[in-house]
Amino acid sequence: MTKRLASQRLISRIGLSLGMLFASATLTFLAVRMMPGDPATIILGGAMANPTPGAVAAITKEYGLDRPLIVQYGFYIWRLLHGDLGISFSQHLHVAEVLRQQMLPTLALASLSLFLAWALALVSVFCTVRRGRVLSSLGASLDISAAALPPFWLGIVLLWIFAFRLHLLPPAGSSSLASLIMPALSLAIPLGGFLAQVTRESMEIALDQPFILSARMRGLSMGQVLRRHALRHALLPGIALSAWALGALLGETAVIEAIFSRKGLGRTLVYAVSAQDMPLTTGIVLFVTVAYILASLVIEIIHELVDPRLATSRRRSASLWL
Amino acid sequence: MTRSHNPKPVLILIPVVACLAVLFYRYDTDSKTRHPNTHQGSAPHKGGTLVFATEREPLCLDPHVYGDMPQVYIAEQYLDRLVSMDEQGTIHPWLATSWEIADGGLTYVFHLRHDVTFTDGTKFDAAAVKRNLDHMVDPATQSGTAGGYIRQYTRTDILDPYTAMVHLSSPYSAFLNVLAQGFLGIESPAALARPRDVNCQSPVGSGPFIIAHWDHQSEVILRRNPAYAWGPSTAQHQGPAWLDGIVWRFIAEPSVRFAMLQAGEVGVIDSVPPEGETPAKANPDVSLLMADRPGNPTNGTLNTLRPPFNDIRVREAFIRSADIDGALGSIFFHHYARAGGPLSLSTPDYSPNFEHTKDYDPKRANELLEKAGWKDRDSEGYRLRDGKRLTVHIPISTVLAPADRTLWEQVQATARQTGFDVRLEPLSETANIARSDAWDYDVRIGYWNTNTPDVLRIVFGSAFTNHFQHGIHQNASGYSSPIFDGVVEQALATQDPQQRKALYQQAQEIIAKAHLQITTYSQTTRLGVFSNVHGVRIEPSLRVINFYDAWMTP
Repeated sequence: MTKRLASQRLISRIGLSLGMLFASATLTFLAVRMMPGDPATIILGGAMANPTPGAVAAITKEYGLDRPLIVQYGFYIWRLLHGDLGISFSQHLHVAEVLRQQMLPTLALASLSLFLAWALALVSVFCTVRRGRVLSSLGASLDISAAALPPFWLGIVLLWIFAFRLHLLPPAGSSSLASLIMPALSLAIPLGGFLAQVTRESMEIALDQPFILSARMRGLSMGQVLRRHALRHALLPGIALSAWALGALLGETAVIEAIFSRKGLGRTLVYAVSAQDMPLTTGIVLFVTVAYILASLVIEIIHELVDPRLATSRRRSASLWL
Repeated sequence: MTRSHNPKPVLILIPVVACLAVLFYRYDTDSKTRHPNTHQGSAPHKGGTLVFATEREPLCLDPHVYGDMPQVYIAEQYLDRLVSMDEQGTIHPWLATSWEIADGGLTYVFHLRHDVTFTDGTKFDAAAVKRNLDHMVDPATQSGTAGGYIRQYTRTDILDPYTAMVHLSSPYSAFLNVLAQGFLGIESPAALARPRDVNCQSPVGSGPFIIAHWDHQSEVILRRNPAYAWGPSTAQHQGPAWLDGIVWRFIAEPSVRFAMLQAGEVGVIDSVPPEGETPAKANPDVSLLMADRPGNPTNGTLNTLRPPFNDIRVREAFIRSADIDGALGSIFFHHYARAGGPLSLSTPDYSPNFEHTKDYDPKRANELLEKAGWKDRDSEGYRLRDGKRLTVHIPISTVLAPADRTLWEQVQATARQTGFDVRLEPLSETANIARSDAWDYDVRIGYWNTNTPDVLRIVFGSAFTNHFQHGIHQNASGYSSPIFDGVVEQALATQDPQQRKALYQQAQEIIAKAHLQITTYSQTTRLGVFSNVHGVRIEPSLRVINFYDAWMTP
C-alpha cells in the first residue's frame, strides 16, 4: 500500500516538474518574441548603428528570424528536447557555457543569503521571544522593520557606509569572500525579518502547548525547552517558505548584482531581456526553474525530517517522503 | 521567565568571523592605498599591472563584429591600424608606411611594414590587409560600424607580399580617416579564420597588449606584447608597453567606480560622473583627463516627415524654446560645454560659425509659431491650431542616462512656456528601436562619434533614410536635399584639403539653416586617473583611452 503511494507520488512529481519546465519555456519564448522591436537591429547596435542591409539580412537568416513564429517555436522546443539550449544572440556564446560561467556566483549569493537570513531570524527569535514585554515587542518590531526594507535600498545604504565611508568592504567585484558580505546581507536582512516573523508566531503558539508546560515542570530551563521542544514546531512554517524564498532570492540577485557589480545570472538575465536575446533569456529562466524544483524537493525532505509528527510516521514507512 | 539562555557557539561565530574578515580586508586596503607618490616626473618605470574600471562590457572583443564603443576601447590596446591620426586630424603612417591614391580616389595602394608579426606568430602582409577588409564587409561578420564605414570597398589586389591595392566603388576622401579608427583595427588572418563567435572571445592583433583571458561579467585580462616594436608616431615612446598588464574591470555604477578610484583600488576609471568632477578636483590623488569626441554631438533630431516639424518655422521655434545652456549648467554643474552646431568642436573641418545660431530665444519662437498658424492657446497654455494641440512626442529609452533624461525634462519645461506640449514617453530600448524603425517620433535622441565631417552625410544624407521605409535609418530627420547630397558627395570626391574644408563649411551651413536638431553637448571621454599612474593618453581619432605609454610608480 505505502509502496504504491510512494511511486504514484514520484510519478506525479516528475510530471509536475516537466510541466513546469515546459510552461516556463513556452511563456518565456512568447514573452521575448512578442516584445516590440527587431532582434536583428538590436544585435547590430540599435537604432543608431550603421549596418549594411546585407548584414541585417544575414542575421535574420542566421537566427531564423524570418520564419513564422510557430515554426521558430517548434524548432526551439525540438532543440530543447535534445538538450540544446542554443547560442546566445548577443554574447556569441553557447547558452550552456554562459550558465556554467555565471551560475556559481549567483548560487553562492542566494544560498549564503538564505543561510544568513535563517541565522538572523533564529537569533532574533531566540533572544526575544517570551523574554518580557519590552524585549519581545522590541524583537517583533525589529523583525517587521527588517522585513519591510527593500534589498536594493539596503544595498545602497550598506555600500555607502561600509565601502564609501569606512572603506571596510570592497564596493564591487565577485572574486573574494569579502565581496560577498554586503550583497548577501542586503538580501538576508529583509528575508530574515520575514522568516523571524513567521517563526516567532509559530514559536509562541508552540510555547502555549501543554507539552511545554509539562517539560518546564520536569525542570528544564526555558532555553532547553525552546531548543528541544518548541523549536521543531516553530521552524516548520519558515522551512516550508524557504523554497519560495530561494526562488525569490534568485530573482532579486538581478538588482543586487547590478549594485555591487558582481558577475552572475541575474545581471545576465537583465541584459538578455533588454537585448531580446531569446535563447539566453529562456536558458536562464529554465535554469532558475530547475533550481526552484530541486530546492522544493530538498525543502520537503528537510520539512519531514524536522516535523516530529511526520517523524513518527516516517519510522513506519521510510520512503514516504518521496 | 529566566534569562539563562545561551546562544549556541556557532551563532556567535558568525559575527566574529564577519568582523575578522572586515578587519583583514581593511588591513589589506590600507597597505595598498597609503603609498605616498614620490616618483612624479621621473622616467617611466617598467612593470606593474594597472586596474582600469570601465562602465560597459563589450559583447564581442573583435571590433569588426557589431561595433560599439566598449569594443573600440579594448581594440585600442591590442590592435594596430593601417594609418594613425594626430590631434590636428592629419593622417600618418602606421602599419602602412606610405600610400598612393589613384583613379580619382577609386584606388588606394598601401605599402606595408615588413617587420610586423601578430601575437599568434602570423606575419602581417598584404594578404592580411585583404582578409581584414573582406572580413569587415562580409555580412556574416554582422558589422554595425566598420563595415558600414567602408560601404564603398569592393576588393583588394595583392600586388606583392607588402603592397596592397584597395578598390572603391566611388571616391571616398574619408577612407583614411576611418582606417585610423580602432573599429577598423587589423587582426591576425589566422585568428579570423576561426568561427566568428570563437574569434569574439579571443581575438589576436599585433598591438602593445595581448588579450589573455575574458571572465564574462567581470573582467578582461591583458598582458604586454614583449615583441612590440611598431608603435604609431603619435605615441610617446617606441618598443614594448611599460605595463606588465591591465585588468580591465566592468563596474557599471558610476559612483562605485569613482569611490574605488578615490580609494586607489583602481588606477584609472572612465565616464567620471558629473557630480564627481568637483570632488575629483579637490582630491590631490586624482586627476581628470578629458577630451571632446568628434562627430555629430548629442542631440534630439526633429522628424520632418510629419506635423508639427514638417514646418521649418515650428522646428526653429522648438529649438529656440529650449534653454540648453541653462539646462547644461544645472545638470552637469557647468562641466559640459554647449555644442551649438551640427559638428562637435574636435571634428576635422569644424566651423565655429554655427555655435550660436540656435540659442534660446523665446521671443523669436513665439513670433515663428504665430506665423505658422499656432495662434490660440488652450486653458493650460498650450498652443492650438484648428483645435489641435501643439504636441511633441519624444520616446525616452531606459538606456538613456539619468542626466540626459533630466536635460530633456528641462527642455520640456522651457518649451512649455512658448506653448509646446512636450510628451516624454519612457519605454524599453527594444520598444524605442521599434518606434524609431517606424518613424514614430517627433524627436529622436542620439549622437554619432566618428573622426570625419562625412558624419553629416550619414546623419542628414538622403541615402541614409532607408527610402523613408520602415526599418533602420541613420538619418533620423528624414531630411532630403539634392543640394546637400551634392555638396557632401563632392567633398568625398575631392583630394584638395582646402576645397574639402570649404565644401564642409557649406554643408554645415545648409544643415544649420534647415533646423533639424537641438544639439546639446559633445560626447566626451572623461577619465579619472590615480596619482600613481602616469602617461595615460587619449588617442586622437575617436578620443579613446590608450595605455601604450602608461606606467605606474612602484
